[in-house]
Amino acid sequence: MIEQDALSTGAPLVNLDQIGDALDVGMLGVDRHLVVTMWNHWLESATGRNAADVIGRPLDDLGVSLAPAARSALERAVGGTMVVLSQRLHGYLIEIPAPSGYEHVCQMQQSVRILPVAGADGQPAGALALIRDVTERVAQEAELRSAMESAQQANRAKSDFLAAMSHDLRTPIGAMLAYADLLAEGIFGTVTDVQREKLLRIKQVGAQLVSIVDEILTFARIEAGREPVHRESFDASQLVRDAVLSVEPQAASKKLELVCRYPDRPLSIDTDVMKVRQILVNLLGNAVKFTDHGRITVEIVDTDPEKVSFVVADTGPGISEEDQRRIFDSFVQGTQSASRAQRGSGLGLSVSRSLARLLGGDVSLRSTPGRGSEFTVTLPRSAPPRSP
Amino acid sequence: MNLDDFALDALGELFNVGLHRAAASLSEITGQRIDVDMPRLLICPIEEIEKPLAELVGGEVATVHQMFGGAVAGDAVLLLEHDKAAALTKLMTDGEAALGGRLDQSAREVLAEIGNIVLGACLSGFGDMLDLPVSFQVPRIHIESLKQILRSLRVSTNEVQYAVIAATQFRLSTLKVDGYLVVAVGAKSLTRVSQALARRIA
Repeated sequence: MIEQDALSTGAPLVNLDQIGDALDVGMLGVDRHLVVTMWNHWLESATGRNAADVIGRPLDDLGVSLAPAARSALERAVGGTMVVLSQRLHGYLIEIPAPSGYEHVCQMQQSVRILPVAGADGQPAGALALIRDVTERVAQEAELRSAMESAQQANRAKSDFLAAMSHDLRTPIGAMLAYADLLAEGIFGTVTDVQREKLLRIKQVGAQLVSIVDEILTFARIEAGREPVHRESFDASQLVRDAVLSVEPQAASKKLELVCRYPDRPLSIDTDVMKVRQILVNLLGNAVKFTDHGRITVEIVDTDPEKVSFVVADTGPGISEEDQRRIFDSFVQGTQSASRAQRGSGLGLSVSRSLARLLGGDVSLRSTPGRGSEFTVTLPRSAPPRSP
Repeated sequence: MNLDDFALDALGELFNVGLHRAAASLSEITGQRIDVDMPRLLICPIEEIEKPLAELVGGEVATVHQMFGGAVAGDAVLLLEHDKAAALTKLMTDGEAALGGRLDQSAREVLAEIGNIVLGACLSGFGDMLDLPVSFQVPRIHIESLKQILRSLRVSTNEVQYAVIAATQFRLSTLKVDGYLVVAVGAKSLTRVSQALARRIA
């Protein structure tokens, strides 16, 4: 009935003090002389000071500690300016013990908005500080930060291990291949045709191993942010011709047709030639590896004044939609790999995309299972300088 | 609505004073030297804002958005590229904020404080010039694409709206951060500013 009476007379049902007491934020009101005009329930329970003891007294006489920026912030608000005090820059407005369970944090961490309050004449008459306890959130963020730092440290350790291991593997493989060469050349005595054929097989498998180790090394350097970019101007068409030459023997042995389409004039781009070559050789190598019949096409698309695209398409088995979603992830291979012999490190596409992104570009994929795949490397004509 | 060159220069100077005032406040809070460049100014109808802004900034952006009212009323936005905003808050809080290059909730609040200081310092210049205070609403943080931000600026109104873009650069330690202040105001507010500038120049 009280409510009905109030409604019928038009009197407000609640006043600002009642609203303040109902809210889960601290509400501190001051007048233009920084005398306390409002101190809600939240502040009473957080500080242990009753509103009756506090209201009407100057803020400085309350014996509560204020943050260094608090006084000037309140004064600015009293002057008519809306003020934000973030926890990370100020910690708190009023020093209040940390809530239960967070005693390891020195004080309650607060996020504060201070609003100017106008008097009846419209002129600034005081300020109202809204204080939110963000201690729990700050503690969670600190935990998350610590966990992420540990994870990053572990990742760095993994990258360092990969780099060291790959480097250590590369040296003995190099020695094995060199000895295989010397044996094949007959330096240590006559070699039969069968022995020469086996030595050639050792060299082929060794070259595969070197390529995998190089992939791991590049992956480790990219992960550690230590892969340098050496920009130079070169002819993109010539680069495509070189990359195709490197896979020609394997394509010929599988009777695959190799088709190149590039402009009949030099097409100069300014980027890291070795990295672009690595990307193209990788994509062409994959195309040859997974295609048993038909052809491999490599094409330069030169229609954008800012970018150049290299498209590598094959008539292989294609990649399922599920595999397309994760094919660029590290250590992932398509489930349609025909045999273990066709498998590599699972880093090739991940490294290719990372290298393309390092050069300011990207690698994308279109594929239809049963009809083939098309990888497009898009690069800016001029690689951006690396950010520090 | 066109401001002549003198009025445009005067408006630029108004932003310049505000930005330097803001830089001084931020330096005081963080204990680090923070400098700002003289802003470059552009005024255009709000419908035409996308092209010039898209030439300046792209991808995901972090904005502090604050409505203001009084003699001059409108919508003010401090706009930074997300990665740069993360780097800025990280530097300003001794490397604590924005781990992994993302703005966590506390880092967003730091950005809200930065935005409040910068927008307040620049727009209070209008109030000083017109001898009328400009009051602000509570700042809001948004992390979204430029297009989404611009859509939120187009408040329905009966009058033609204009955008004043002030492009500047904040410099602290080794970091340079391009920052853009976009102030959307109605034709009446812009006319008031223009008239006040004319009186000042005269």
